[in-house]
Amino acid sequence: MADISTLAEPVRFVFDGHAIETGVRTSLLQAWVGAGLPLTENVGCMGQGVCGACRVLVRRAGERLACTALACETLAEPGMQVSFLDHFPASRPHAYDLRALTDSWTAIDRIDAVFPEAKNCRHCSGCDRACPKGIEVQRMVNLAAAGQALAAADLFDHCVMCNLCVAACPEHIDPAHLGQFVRRMTASLTLRPSDLIMRLHEIEEGRQPIDPDAPGANPLVAP
Amino acid sequence: MGIPYARAIDAWRAAAPAAPQACALAVPELLRGFHPDHRPGGMRVLRAGASAGSPCPAELADLLQADSPLEDVDIAGAPMLETDVLVIGGGGAGCVAALTAARAGARVLLATKLRIGDSNTVMAEGGIQAAVGAEDSLQRHFEDTLRAGHFAADKALVAALVSDGPDAIRWLIQEGMSFDLAEGAQRMGGTLLRKTPGGASAARLLSYRDFTGLELMRALREATLLQPGIVTLDRHPAVELLTDDRGRCAGAALQDLGRGRTVLVRSGATVLATGGSGRLHVAGFPTSNHYGATADGLVLAYRLGAPLREVDSFQYHPTGIAWPRHLEGALVSEAARSSGAALVNALGHRFVEELRPRDVVAAAILREIAEGRGVERDGCTGVFLDTPSLEQATPGILGRSLVTLTHLARRAGIDAAAEPLLVRPTLHYQNGGVAIDPACRTVVPGLLCAGEVTGGLHGRNRMMGNALLELVAFGRRAGASAAADARGERPRNVGLTHLADWRRALIVQGLPLGRKAPVIFPAYGNFDIAPARGRAA
Repeated sequence: MADISTLAEPVRFVFDGHAIETGVRTSLLQAWVGAGLPLTENVGCMGQGVCGACRVLVRRAGERLACTALACETLAEPGMQVSFLDHFPASRPHAYDLRALTDSWTAIDRIDAVFPEAKNCRHCSGCDRACPKGIEVQRMVNLAAAGQALAAADLFDHCVMCNLCVAACPEHIDPAHLGQFVRRMTASLTLRPSDLIMRLHEIEEGRQPIDPDAPGANPLVAP
Repeated sequence: MGIPYARAIDAWRAAAPAAPQACALAVPELLRGFHPDHRPGGMRVLRAGASAGSPCPAELADLLQADSPLEDVDIAGAPMLETDVLVIGGGGAGCVAALTAARAGARVLLATKLRIGDSNTVMAEGGIQAAVGAEDSLQRHFEDTLRAGHFAADKALVAALVSDGPDAIRWLIQEGMSFDLAEGAQRMGGTLLRKTPGGASAARLLSYRDFTGLELMRALREATLLQPGIVTLDRHPAVELLTDDRGRCAGAALQDLGRGRTVLVRSGATVLATGGSGRLHVAGFPTSNHYGATADGLVLAYRLGAPLREVDSFQYHPTGIAWPRHLEGALVSEAARSSGAALVNALGHRFVEELRPRDVVAAAILREIAEGRGVERDGCTGVFLDTPSLEQATPGILGRSLVTLTHLARRAGIDAAAEPLLVRPTLHYQNGGVAIDPACRTVVPGLLCAGEVTGGLHGRNRMMGNALLELVAFGRRAGASAAADARGERPRNVGLTHLADWRRALIVQGLPLGRKAPVIFPAYGNFDIAPARGRAA
């Protein structure tokens, strides 16, 4: 990425066909709004980088290939060409009912039953290149296909569900949803905190009463 | 205005780690003098509607006392969808309500302004409160919440919140949400990692890293999308609620942004889960809120006759980014302070106990800035959040458990382990909202509310971690009530009859009919709902 922090000139670039002029250290999303263009989609958390809504295709000046990015996290650079990527839901929903997964012996088999395409991974690494968070998407797909659910789940810890890997995958594996499936499955099947369970028992047995008139539940009266 | 950055950083370096110091001013005087809720001239008294006579921030009062963008003719011939339960809002509370209602057998339609999941929920960082510790109790959670809210909260709502807490955590785990475990604990039979939220008497904050809301929302979004019986409509904000001839809420008029047309939904029960209003930038503050947080639900419920409470009370989160300007308002989680990061002024001194309630800490920071002890950098003023001393005391903490903070610092162009962040309060949460009962019902039959749009739960200040708990606890309550209510009488003669009464009330009070609300998007979104109707956006 070019060092633009020292530039005094306005930054000129093209965003969805609009020639935009903006200041330095302006995110692509801020530049879009600053140019007076209506922002009614492709927006969410406005820069925290957690919602994955502002997906863009970016080609930097002098580069041949375009890459994917999040518009809130990417600063405008001179000569950039940018376009929003529309919301694309997974083309084929991989349906499952987490609450029906009651037999943990067969749980790992469900990965293949729900996401049968996962074992067809071509190792093209298109998903890795598409991920704006630098997640090893392909490795997760391969681990999940091999039934290594916890290891696969760990790799998807930081996924923001932008679905760019879903769009990139020629085998329709839907990696983001596969990652979410193994994460949800491992949590719901293996997380059993003893302190929570003890407290739930106490509540069921009526040993956690609430007294609305206790001294601590009312303002202090001045002496 | 403040002390230049270079001098302030020298003072910080000389004193680091700065010694703790007690807050000199008494709390009521501190809040009265420096909290933005008390700024002179900021409040206006509502003149029309069910809460006439109550104070309300001017920015919100303008919207509450505005006219609808719709006329009767606009809905004539509009396509009509039919459902048992209509949920408006696709954040945490909306998804929980939709899931609960659908599992209770109702047909559910979930309409949302952007996409399902795009909401403040996904941005929540610190955690979710639930009293699970052996030394903790529901009673302590109850009392802490009331005290933090200055005893203005509805005790029945707070009791409902805290007693639902542990079961809400079990429910979330069943939906596939992960939680941090205590150091070295096993997944089966171990204990949950617990931190102490500001103002709490026990360690009660459960978390997943410092992106708890993201973890919660991605589990709930998948659950909602896969749940049979739920139809979701993205890019369909509600512009008006529908009524029947008995005054019952009968559904809503949605704006289909993609096609530029109005769509009507007739429903047996309607759940408003539209969130808050940070994007109104009350008192001129930057905000940590999501793009869609424009008070739509308050406007719609109020116009239909639902009273609001504590709408003059907002939460300014103490630690928003103050510099650099392009990140202004972005949130630095309270997890940083719960983990031990100190607040330091430009003289290198600590000036407040960091884990006091948020309104106290925010007011204390604003006092430092107002009295000239703030740090000034490129025209931005704030105080230091001492992350380098935290990293030194607990090596590896920034990379391991304060992931979002570290990411934010990198985008600000600094190394949080070497240089402190510059922070100041950011508009974070709407403490008040639509008055509800513990079953989430409003005074308007057929209209239920859940989540940040509601009032009464947090009093005049919300504790960290109670917002995520609220959306699960009350989302489930709203979903169950809505599914039950939808089985009762169906609405008849559906229309906009309530608007005639509303316009008469505005005229009687001499209020302008030219102003339209809800606004759907903030002004800088370059979108105006009134002329945009009939046109695709």
